Amino acid sequence: MFKLLIVSCATISLLTTSIRADDWPHWRGPTRNGHSAEMAWLDQWPTDGPRVAWKAKVGLGFSTFVVAKGRVLTTGHADDKDTVFCFDADSGKVLWKHPYPAELGNKYFEGGTTGTPTIDDERVYQLSRWGDVFCLDATTGRVIWSKNLQKEIGVRIPDWGFSGAPLVHGNLLILNVGDAGMALDKTSGKIVWQSQNKEAGYSTPLPMGHGNETLVLLGSRQSYVAVDVLTGKEAWRHRWLTQYGVNAADPVVQGALVFICTGYGKGGAMLKTSAGQPQELWKTKVFRTQLNPAVLVDGHLYGVDGDTTSPASLKCLEFATGAEKWEHPNVGSGALITAGGRLIVLSGTGELMVAPASPAGFKPTARAQVLKGKCWTSPVLANGRIYCRSVPGEVVCLDVRKP
Amino acid sequence: MKLTRRHFLRAAAVAGLATPFTTRGADAGRKFRTALIGAGWWGKNILKEALASGRCQISALCDVDAMGLEIAAEQVSDLSGKQPKTYKDFRELLDKDRPEIVIIATPDHWHALQTIAVLKAGAHVFVEKPTGHTVNESRAMVKVARDAGRVVQVGLHRRVGPHHASAMKFLQSGAVGEIGMVRVFAHSAGGPEKPAPNSEPPDGMDWDFWCGPAPKRPFNSKLHPGGWRNFLDYANGQIGDWGVHWLDQVLWWNGGEYPRRVFSTAGRAIRGPAVLNAREQTTDAPDHQVAVFEFPKFTCVWENRQFASNDAEKHRIGAYFYGTKGILHIGWRDGWTFYPANKKEKPLHEDPQLQEPDGHNLKLLWANFLAAIEIRKPAAARLELAHRSSVLPMLAMISWRTGRSLQWNGAREEIIGDAEASKLLSRPYRAPWIYPAA
Ligand SMILES: NC(=O)c1ccc[n+]([C@@H]2O[C@H](COP(=O)([O-])OP(=O)(O)OC[C@H]3O[C@@H](n4cnc5c(N)ncnc54)[C@H](O)[C@@H]3O)[C@@H](O)[C@H]2O)c1
Repeated sequence: MFKLLIVSCATISLLTTSIRADDWPHWRGPTRNGHSAEMAWLDQWPTDGPRVAWKAKVGLGFSTFVVAKGRVLTTGHADDKDTVFCFDADSGKVLWKHPYPAELGNKYFEGGTTGTPTIDDERVYQLSRWGDVFCLDATTGRVIWSKNLQKEIGVRIPDWGFSGAPLVHGNLLILNVGDAGMALDKTSGKIVWQSQNKEAGYSTPLPMGHGNETLVLLGSRQSYVAVDVLTGKEAWRHRWLTQYGVNAADPVVQGALVFICTGYGKGGAMLKTSAGQPQELWKTKVFRTQLNPAVLVDGHLYGVDGDTTSPASLKCLEFATGAEKWEHPNVGSGALITAGGRLIVLSGTGELMVAPASPAGFKPTARAQVLKGKCWTSPVLANGRIYCRSVPGEVVCLDVRKP
Repeated sequence: MKLTRRHFLRAAAVAGLATPFTTRGADAGRKFRTALIGAGWWGKNILKEALASGRCQISALCDVDAMGLEIAAEQVSDLSGKQPKTYKDFRELLDKDRPEIVIIATPDHWHALQTIAVLKAGAHVFVEKPTGHTVNESRAMVKVARDAGRVVQVGLHRRVGPHHASAMKFLQSGAVGEIGMVRVFAHSAGGPEKPAPNSEPPDGMDWDFWCGPAPKRPFNSKLHPGGWRNFLDYANGQIGDWGVHWLDQVLWWNGGEYPRRVFSTAGRAIRGPAVLNAREQTTDAPDHQVAVFEFPKFTCVWENRQFASNDAEKHRIGAYFYGTKGILHIGWRDGWTFYPANKKEKPLHEDPQLQEPDGHNLKLLWANFLAAIEIRKPAAARLELAHRSSVLPMLAMISWRTGRSLQWNGAREEIIGDAEASKLLSRPYRAPWIYPAA
């Protein structure tokens, strides 16, 4: 996928609106695992932090950013509406907005948007917590098609609403809706396949190669499931009970190894899936990623262990064995990505840190308080800029381009 | 059992018994067989304290939601290395497991029947607040407990919370002067409400059993887990939830005396009208409520609001005691603060000492419960006390439903001269469950 992007970029790089090499068009970035291939960015900052390119306010929510062709999108909630915002990446100017009525949905948390939109070339896809699906024109924000799955076919809405980002695969739009996902025709919104009408989990559909096929991994209410992307046929299912059905963190995949990990004290398990039904290779109780998944760098997992209600710490685990390498306490319910062998961590209270991804320990080379208040959303690095948001919806775009 | 502590110790010594009652440490190796009914959010918090005390072995868990039950069982075996037995039906648990202590952390509409069943099975009870859903249920619990001679501790951990205890001392020292009025309140964010679609209950959930003696609403994700608080069939709104804690502080201070008159008004001004049909539903609890409790020597006002939450008001939750020497606020995470009437004096403040993540003092309450069992010290949040704090919101609800104030005969626990309101002291049960006789 990533190679493909580079190739297509080279051929069309003269067009001003072309995909740039280091775009981040969907949740978890170009390779869907929290990795950016960007190497040349500043990982040492002046004491007051990197230059703030622009700031914005988007309303309450947990949606992270997607970036492509000079546009940056995120969502937030205010005044009984969710809004998809499209900003100009350079100036922070609002290019368009797409508001739609939505409930606050503040059951046990402040509420607001939880999912992230997806950019697919000239289209933007958005799944709301309450089952609205929008296909928008990426240039204008015009609605190309929209529907509400709850109203159309009565799908069951999980306790905190749908939160996985849509996945585009060929002509299909895969959603974590139903017991084991659902696929729509991305051009029309027509349902192509669907699963049993049971409560979904909260992860984003994650594609995974399996022989010549592509499977999609989904966190469901009581299990992690793999289905054939084209038909929705179930390949395997691993029973995984997490409190309140919060199978939220995406699996971390390497070859046929699938690491699943959830919060509320549950922990993680390494699954070997080459033989069909998964086998558990190891389990851990000391790594519990509640909302944001870990990143895998050179045989080690890095992620936030602990719930939003706990002090939560950053941890490093060996991928092969599950052995804990280090713990950095009190990062809060933050999130991280990785680029060029470094971790970019946004703490639960808005401190942005950069540190080499190393099993030897967590030694930040840069840190700055970039936001105030609660931050539970993953930062994003795209084209030399880091985007961060807080729960109330303060957005900062930080310039980390090398001069 | 009418033995005084000294009597008992002497009797035990004579008999050469090493019962768990002798002293706290004497038989520390022996663990109470402890069971939990209602393995949801709070049940698991209590369970953790029971295990952490080192004095309890979790022998059995019960829930009508198989998934929640399995998750709780996994947590117990993680924490203790022992796998508890699991049951859907609490009657079967009591029958087969024969626990010595039972924790009840089900939704409010189950507290009375389950407490009574546990007491009749001979175990001590730790039951969550409020004690019941209607007044006569709660009275029946008190009556059965009196006959059973077992300890019943109610989950009002604010009775032992360090900053509550010191605030109470401060009040009782006279530092706030004569108190003429108390205001208790809990405000939080919220807005208009849209109905959510009804659905099949989740796999492994016995919804009929969950509803039990209460009306059976169509299943809806707004209800379970936790959301039942906002449905009047199963709870009494914010006043019946947060209100119990803060009204209990008032009754702690005034020695448990009942008010003689109660009036309440409430509504869904912001949430909008309640919806319930075959397709969808909203909650039906009010989004704001005011209740006035007239005591012989002071007036107490309860207020809750689930909208318009910002920092305009200094405290969002707690109790204000208005005295001639100043105003005392007892809060939650904001501890207590005394604002002196004399402008020259500085405010006094004490931070809370809470257990996180959920900001409670269950460890202390559990220790107090075990002490009550072992050395017969009266439990700090014993049923007789918690019953009264639980009854106040129920009376407010009756006043709101009937649209008039109630005269309350506290000594007899009767509404004076109002047959229609008096009827609401009980409610019909759904068969086969039978309303407990007070
Ligand atoms: N003292 C406090 O500070 C405090 C705080 C929170 C909750 N609580 C109290 O704890 C109780 C539980 O609240 P919660 O938030 O944990 O609710 P919850 O919905 O998370 O848990 C209740 C559990 O009871 C189960 N249940 C329902 N009927 C049952 C039955 N017949 N048998 C067995 N299990 C049954 C439900 O399936 C659910 O798992 C309430 O009474 C609440 O007022 C007290």
